Amino acid sequence: MINTTELSKKYGGVTVLNIASLEIPKGQSFGLVGNNGAGKTTYFNLLLDLIKPTTGHVINNEIQVNTSENWKPFTAAFIDESFLIGYLTAEEYFYFIGELRGMNKADIDAFLIQFEDIFNDEILGKKKYLRDLSKGNQKKAGIVAALIGNPEVIILDEPFANLDPTTQIRLKKILKDLTKNSSATVLISSHDLGHVTEVCERIVVLEKGDIVKDLKTSEETLKELEAYFSV
Amino acid sequence: MIKNFIKFEWKQFFRSSYFQKGIGIKIVLVFLALYFGGAALMLGVGLYFIIKEALPTMDPIVIVNNFLIYWLLFDLVIRFFMQQLPVMNVKPLMIIPVKRNTAINYLLGKTALSFFNFIPVFIFLPFSIVLLTNGYPVLNVIFWFFATFFLGLSNNFLNFLINKSNTVFYSLISVLALLIGLEFFDIFKISKPIGIAFNALYNNPILVLIPLILMIALYVLNFNYIKKGFYLDDAVSKKIKEVNAADLSWMNRFGSVAIFLKNDMKLIWRNARPKQVMMMSFLFLFYGLLFFTSKTYSDSPAWLAFASIFITGGFLMTFGQLVPSWDSEYYKLLMSQNIPYKKYLESKWYLMVFAVSISFVLSTPYLYFGWKIYGMIAAGALFNIGLNSFITLFGGALNRVPIELNVKAKAFSNTNGFNPTQLLIGLPKMVLPMLLFYVPYKFINFESGLLVLGLSGVLGIVFKNFFLNKIEKIYQNGKYKTIAAFKEKN
Repeated sequence: MINTTELSKKYGGVTVLNIASLEIPKGQSFGLVGNNGAGKTTYFNLLLDLIKPTTGHVINNEIQVNTSENWKPFTAAFIDESFLIGYLTAEEYFYFIGELRGMNKADIDAFLIQFEDIFNDEILGKKKYLRDLSKGNQKKAGIVAALIGNPEVIILDEPFANLDPTTQIRLKKILKDLTKNSSATVLISSHDLGHVTEVCERIVVLEKGDIVKDLKTSEETLKELEAYFSV
Repeated sequence: MIKNFIKFEWKQFFRSSYFQKGIGIKIVLVFLALYFGGAALMLGVGLYFIIKEALPTMDPIVIVNNFLIYWLLFDLVIRFFMQQLPVMNVKPLMIIPVKRNTAINYLLGKTALSFFNFIPVFIFLPFSIVLLTNGYPVLNVIFWFFATFFLGLSNNFLNFLINKSNTVFYSLISVLALLIGLEFFDIFKISKPIGIAFNALYNNPILVLIPLILMIALYVLNFNYIKKGFYLDDAVSKKIKEVNAADLSWMNRFGSVAIFLKNDMKLIWRNARPKQVMMMSFLFLFYGLLFFTSKTYSDSPAWLAFASIFITGGFLMTFGQLVPSWDSEYYKLLMSQNIPYKKYLESKWYLMVFAVSISFVLSTPYLYFGWKIYGMIAAGALFNIGLNSFITLFGGALNRVPIELNVKAKAFSNTNGFNPTQLLIGLPKMVLPMLLFYVPYKFINFESGLLVLGLSGVLGIVFKNFFLNKIEKIYQNGKYKTIAAFKEKN
């Protein structure tokens, strides 16, 4: 589904990402871990063509992302708050994204019902702008918006950060169901090794821009990761 | 502690991103400051002689006193738009051992150094000196000068109190309009009694105590207000406003651009900065009054063309020049969503057309000045819709300054839309309509001038797709740069 070839990104001579080759097959739940500055967000930004690669390219479903825009209809992402439109209410935001993805109000309303427990009565019908919601609630809205319209590729940067424990558990279930019940390819990054091993069937460790581990998740993966990071 | 505050301030100023780049901007800013300072100085020196020349029988100081009230009210209005209480980053100060009073005194004291407080000094100080050299009583002049200075500062502090509520502001504006109207039509001259008061102030130097006390009182009011709100859940935190949702589904008739149009309406309605721009653009409607009432301009029709562009084009120019910047807060979202640039641009274009049309309707009272002037405004509106809109959008595309939507712009602290390219783009916006009108006017007649100006707009509408495609190219080429620039918060 997503093929990365000779991809690198340099800022003023400093290489922040350097991936010779990485293939993510369709329907995989893919986890990216690494300490600050490892290049996780840079990689996601490159996948979304938000920054220009120094060398190489990413091919998303046979479309090279930095030459064509045709990957946009089937790709969705939530990277940070700059993916939210602060002066809209959550509903208006969902309708906006829905309309861009060819869904009408009724479709969205039906779609949102399944997230009622995640929203916990704090997001919908509150007459509050997104900018006035708490960090956690903003994140919930952003993640749910990224799931609108059954995208084939879903990219979430640190989805668990800022979420309360209950929501973390619920989100894990949603993400697992996504790859189980549909053919969606899910890419997440996280600093929580426990969450990422639970959700992802494959985990790649980045360090200073390089891939240092590429693991198929098993019983031992968590231990291996903990050993790796406890330096 | 104060020393530290000043150090922070210094760093904040010199390390802010707009200061670190663009020598061109710096030069222009310095130039502007010199220009305004110089203009004020010249006015101050020349004021005495101008009045003497125009009204030889009157005492200049009396005339100035009569109109002082208008200066004060006008100053207040300008301040409301441009000056905000500088909410220093109080949050980090709340838990370290700094006396609250010190911080608040510093905060308020700092505002005394505002640009707005220097302009009157620049005018009234030379004026006072000229008075002294002309043999006016020393004591009276000096105390009169201090009185104006205190009144200016009173305005400074009054503004922060007013700034908290729009109702106060709108009542102020209405009062101002009413007073000007009454004065203009000779019904009731408010400048008389107030003038008498100010003249009394001049004649009795001891009365300088009144503005002084007024200033101190306003300072104390501000002080108490801030002190009361020096808690996390009060002044420091943002006020959460309840949503005002209007049904915009009627806009769906605009087809595929409707979705963006609806968003833009909300953008304007729900954010402080675009609202401010909208109010400013409303003031542009009155721009024509300056030109049409003055003999020098009404005799040179090229200037009328110039004025007519501004009457209907206020919103178009002030909003349009910042077009991608309005969406800077969530630009990454737009870039990763299924959005064709052209539709995005087209919706902004519709918005401008909409604004020009409304301005045109509102400009109907200009019929008072005759059909020629009104025809000029109509031709100007067409030019705005057909050509100016695209020139403005083109200029905006080159502008990559992030905007904080819900923060009012402050005078001179924001250089948004203020770069050399903007200035270069600004030139054709003003010169082009004048040429389009003036050339046929000179060689044929007035009507053909109107016709050419209007037709140029129609031509622009016909070639809309061509222009939009060109601008779209610029957007595409600058995509990464724009994303990176918008990520930088001020």
